[in-house]
Amino acid sequence: MSDIIRRDPRAEWIARNRLHPLHASMQKAETSWMGPNGIVRKNPHVIAAGFVGPAGLKRIDRSGAQQGTVGKRSNASVEVQLPLHIIEQPAFHICVVPDMVGGRLSSHDKDLLGLARKLAGDSGAVVAVIFGEDKEGAFDTAGVDRLLRVQGDAFDGYAPEARVLALSAVESQLAPRHWLLPDSRTGGGELGRRLAAKLGERPATRVWQVAGEQAIGRAGSGQQDIQRALPRLILAAAECAEPVSDTRHEVRLLELAEKVAHSLPRVEDLGPVAVDPAQIPMAEAEFILSGGNGVKDWKMFHQAAIALGATEGASRVAVDDGFMPRNRQVGATGTWVTARVYLAVGISGAIQHLQGIGACDKVVAVNMDPGCDMIKRADLSVIGDSAAILAALMERVATWRQEGKRDAA
Amino acid sequence: MLNTLLPILLFAALTLAVIGAAKRFFMWRRGRPAKVDWIGGLLKMPRRYLVDLHHVVERDKYMSKTHVATAGGFVLAAVLAIVVHGFGLHNRILGFALLAATVLMFTGALFVAKRRLNPPSRLSKGPWMRLPKSLLMFAASFFIATLPVAGILPPDFGGWVLAIILAVGVAWGVSELFLGMTWGGPMKHAFAGALHLAWHRRAERFGGGRSTGLKALDLNDPKAPLGVEKPTDFTWNQLLGFDACVQCGKCEAMCPAFAAGQPLNPKKLIQDMVIGLAGGNDANFAGSPYPGKPLGEHSGGPHQPIVDLNGKALVDAETLWSCTTCRACVEECPMMIEHVDAIVDMRRHLTLEKGSTPNKGAEVLENLIATDNPGGFNPGGRLNWAADLNLPLLADKGETDVLFWVGDGAFDMRNQRTLRAFVTILKAADVDFAVLGLEERDSGDVARRLGDEATFQHLARRNIATLTKYRFKRIVSCDPHSFHVLKNEYGALGGNYQVLHHSTFIEELVRKGSLNLGQSKAASVTYHDPCYLGRYNGEYEAPRAVLKAIGIEVKEMERSGFRSRCCGGGGGAPITDIPGKQRIPDMRMVDIKETGAELVAVGCPQCTAMLEGVVAPRPEIKDIAELVAEVLIEATEVAAKRPAAKRELAEVQ
Amino acid sequence: MTDLNIVALVSVGAHPTSARPRRAEQDARAVELGLRLAGQNLQLLHAGDPQAEALRGYLGMGLEQLDVLEQPEGADALPLLVDYLQGSRTQLVLTGSQAETGEGSGMLPFLLAERLGWPMVVGLAEVEKVENGVAQVLQALPRGQRRRLKVRLPCVASVDNAAPVARQSAFGPARRGQIEAHEVTVVDDTLLAEASLQPAKPRPKRLKVIKAKTGAERMKAATAKASGGGGQILKDVSPQEGAEAIFKLLIEEGVLR
Repeated sequence: MSDIIRRDPRAEWIARNRLHPLHASMQKAETSWMGPNGIVRKNPHVIAAGFVGPAGLKRIDRSGAQQGTVGKRSNASVEVQLPLHIIEQPAFHICVVPDMVGGRLSSHDKDLLGLARKLAGDSGAVVAVIFGEDKEGAFDTAGVDRLLRVQGDAFDGYAPEARVLALSAVESQLAPRHWLLPDSRTGGGELGRRLAAKLGERPATRVWQVAGEQAIGRAGSGQQDIQRALPRLILAAAECAEPVSDTRHEVRLLELAEKVAHSLPRVEDLGPVAVDPAQIPMAEAEFILSGGNGVKDWKMFHQAAIALGATEGASRVAVDDGFMPRNRQVGATGTWVTARVYLAVGISGAIQHLQGIGACDKVVAVNMDPGCDMIKRADLSVIGDSAAILAALMERVATWRQEGKRDAA
Repeated sequence: MLNTLLPILLFAALTLAVIGAAKRFFMWRRGRPAKVDWIGGLLKMPRRYLVDLHHVVERDKYMSKTHVATAGGFVLAAVLAIVVHGFGLHNRILGFALLAATVLMFTGALFVAKRRLNPPSRLSKGPWMRLPKSLLMFAASFFIATLPVAGILPPDFGGWVLAIILAVGVAWGVSELFLGMTWGGPMKHAFAGALHLAWHRRAERFGGGRSTGLKALDLNDPKAPLGVEKPTDFTWNQLLGFDACVQCGKCEAMCPAFAAGQPLNPKKLIQDMVIGLAGGNDANFAGSPYPGKPLGEHSGGPHQPIVDLNGKALVDAETLWSCTTCRACVEECPMMIEHVDAIVDMRRHLTLEKGSTPNKGAEVLENLIATDNPGGFNPGGRLNWAADLNLPLLADKGETDVLFWVGDGAFDMRNQRTLRAFVTILKAADVDFAVLGLEERDSGDVARRLGDEATFQHLARRNIATLTKYRFKRIVSCDPHSFHVLKNEYGALGGNYQVLHHSTFIEELVRKGSLNLGQSKAASVTYHDPCYLGRYNGEYEAPRAVLKAIGIEVKEMERSGFRSRCCGGGGGAPITDIPGKQRIPDMRMVDIKETGAELVAVGCPQCTAMLEGVVAPRPEIKDIAELVAEVLIEATEVAAKRPAAKRELAEVQ
Repeated sequence: MTDLNIVALVSVGAHPTSARPRRAEQDARAVELGLRLAGQNLQLLHAGDPQAEALRGYLGMGLEQLDVLEQPEGADALPLLVDYLQGSRTQLVLTGSQAETGEGSGMLPFLLAERLGWPMVVGLAEVEKVENGVAQVLQALPRGQRRRLKVRLPCVASVDNAAPVARQSAFGPARRGQIEAHEVTVVDDTLLAEASLQPAKPRPKRLKVIKAKTGAERMKAATAKASGGGGQILKDVSPQEGAEAIFKLLIEEGVLR
């Protein structure tokens, strides 16, 4: 593509036409936006950068109408092609069994593949063994040299025994130098230990660092580390290594040489059981919607929790006032929570409460009072009427879910 | 005819009363043994009755005078009646004396009757409504029957009609007053009460003494019961004490849990123990029930468990866990009954044998065992709050004047402000002090009130072992709970110390002039007496004196001093968290707001936490140490000198 | 309650902050589950030191006896347990997911099941019913979810923190309970010879690595405001704008699903 800057009258037209379906994608280089403190910020540089007009002169248009041709509209395909890493004849194999939560590689899986890549070096091949259908489209950039799909009804759902049999077949076919599984609660931890018991390997568990020929993992209740020679089977924790980011890999498909021996499952999966999100123990919950004294419409609060798929929590006052049961109280005198996102609605943030949410990653506060302590703690605060904000949020999530359905369809 | 009838009636009643007394006595003796001074106690009884008990009754002048007249008149009349009518000693002087006694008693009884016309809800009704009539009947009958003795009326006045009427009246009177005394009528309180005073489990309380520390369980004897499961597990004099209850309901009126609608009523609890002692159910209880618990559903007996965790027995567990151990009931009780001891005894069984401490109780106890603090914090973080304060450690010094007992507030971010304020004061006054630092452990207060005597003793013994290593003159603590336990409850385990609450210590510093204080700007201030400082240890004055010294005039609440209402934070109540209709701290905040104060001074981390838990807008809550630290004036000279002196010291070391 | 022969394997735990010995959290939950299923018929089994005070924590839950296969520290518990269980009429072995001391690899229940040839259930939350030697159970999944499984007995089941919370351990029964020591042959564990335990190192939070391809990107990465330190406050915005900001954060954190 030539580097000459050209006007694109069609793009300009689309940028002006708010009803056009591509309108949003033509809005480039924002000249004003909402700053972190709620003040509208302008970027004079974008405006001053101007554009080169058809006569070859630089033009500055402060009306904000110059979108269509701001800068060079870079094409998506310009993305740099990462170098392809090809292993024709692998000296050895490193087998990774990713969790594939939701049919995609999780970040834990990618870390694991990163570790596998490190162990494989230049001569080894990373083999990903996956069960059933997947939706993953980026095995190549995640570092998968060989992909082994094990398919069949026997492996669907919860079938750890069948899967271990399949992995044993892989073991006899490839005799991998290392087996890597995520030490997770979403399957890998269990499968890895089953495999270890089956193969008679003593695995290194909760490994968070592999340095040279040594593996370091957490031991006991997490107060100690255990360092040992790198075993064949490694159950690694999240962030055990950096994911692959610089190379592309072949994702050459492998087949199992022999059919996996079929055996009658001794553990039979009868399917998931509907669990009321309100019953999920708070200490375990990942996303908590917590209400306090500022919540006036509790019915709507409960609806919001359902709509967001959040576990409900409450401040002490809300519990005392009888709006929420005692086992939902968050704080030093209630439950200490470790949620990834803690959405506090109408909670002013008594010190005991703030102590109880100390371990939460992100705290979002919705409150009328901009001076309250919760807002000082929060990563994001929205000042305003909690009912209106919750309603808007529910609506926003509802549209998102519909979009998601459309995408999936 | 009366001359033959009266002695028969009198002696029959007396004999039956003695039989009843023996029966009642053996009922009490079903309890576990207790060491009492049998003879000495009896000898001291009149003084205890007339002085110590009277002091308590005297708080209600009306009732005090009424009782003096009625009871005094009755005792006199009864003795004289036995002499005059029983033994037939028809002496005129005695006759007049008997007349006077009955008149006195009659007058008193009239006031009793008046009180009963429209009785407050705290009073029991039922048989108690009959009592004034019985008293009047007794007095009137003996008055008329004695008129001939005094020579005012001819000996055979009125003939047999009057004689029969009088005989009936006397029969009624003596059955209520003699028989009722030992067979379970309202007058039982006089008989059991007198003996209760004689063989009281805390004899130290008489003669102006104070005895508030819980009694230790013997954990070395594997056969000794761990707490009280059934009524006979109480010591026998505890059972006697329950029997002394007059059902006046003063405890009920003061109980914060009852007022908050939690299922506890100290009066009902004591009466339930009486039911347990004799066997039966509570359908006939004539006072207020436990809030939310109808009468007639609970029953028990001397050898039946008091609490059934899976059903209903005599008392529900949540009744026992509602208590904040604030001792307001004990303080009010004119019979000096020990409610809190009984509640903790029963809690001990629930915790030590049944493992059923409710709600967060189990977790707190586990934390205390594993981390020496109720929050389960890393014990290594106990001194983190003072990381920048450079506090002297007793382990380094070995010897100090004042050992600053920090308490578990060290882990609480709010309480750390108080602690820091107090350290500022200590430094400003140049006090030679030190802290135990990581060697300190929870005092064991919460564990003990939750009934976990084993954990308490474990913590206490280790604290005592630590304290024995060092030399110090006094212990000062900002936490009245630690203060109380160290001062009054470690003694039984071999740790005797001089312990002060920080308000007492600051007051001393102020008096000595060690502090250069300005005037507080706080406009209107009230003071909340912590239970464990006030009622438990009698310290009402020092905090007020300190506030006065910094120019604060305390706007007293209606319930202050020994009648202060609990904040709801004691006895592990926030941990066991038994629901009621409202919260105790909210009620206390209403008390505070009634004074119009904008700030409430406190002296206890629990009170601070509970009161600060009340939803704003509400008055600000500040510890006395914080208020004092705010107005400290660091004289420039002193300030200039001190760092230099410190540097020198450092160089020497 | 069922009349199953249940054995709960218990170990000596360590408190997460003070590291003091205590009953292990998950093992105690296993005992709780066992007590709910079998009441007093539950058998407690420990391989290790019968003198360990922390074992009384299990007895305090209301059991009269605890059997200990006596072995020194650092010995391999697996062969002893396999021998013991093979000879018993046990139908269900309950255990925690991983030990709180030592290696804590969580392998024991798997190895036990493998050696005994029994099926293994991970994360047992509840036993719904037992019929004809088949148990219908609920398995705990992350985020409080549950899965229903059918498993043939005898089996080994591990419980994690989703199992019912263990009841309080009371002093009285803990003091009265009997600890019955059994003498067994000791097998050494080889791992400890070659591995070393050390205090846990804190793991640094992963930094956001920005792979900059151009100078401008590098500049942007270097000058971008560091995350953390004072949150963003949206004032005087419409509820929709506020909701949009929250929504964006929820998506970023991946908690909406």
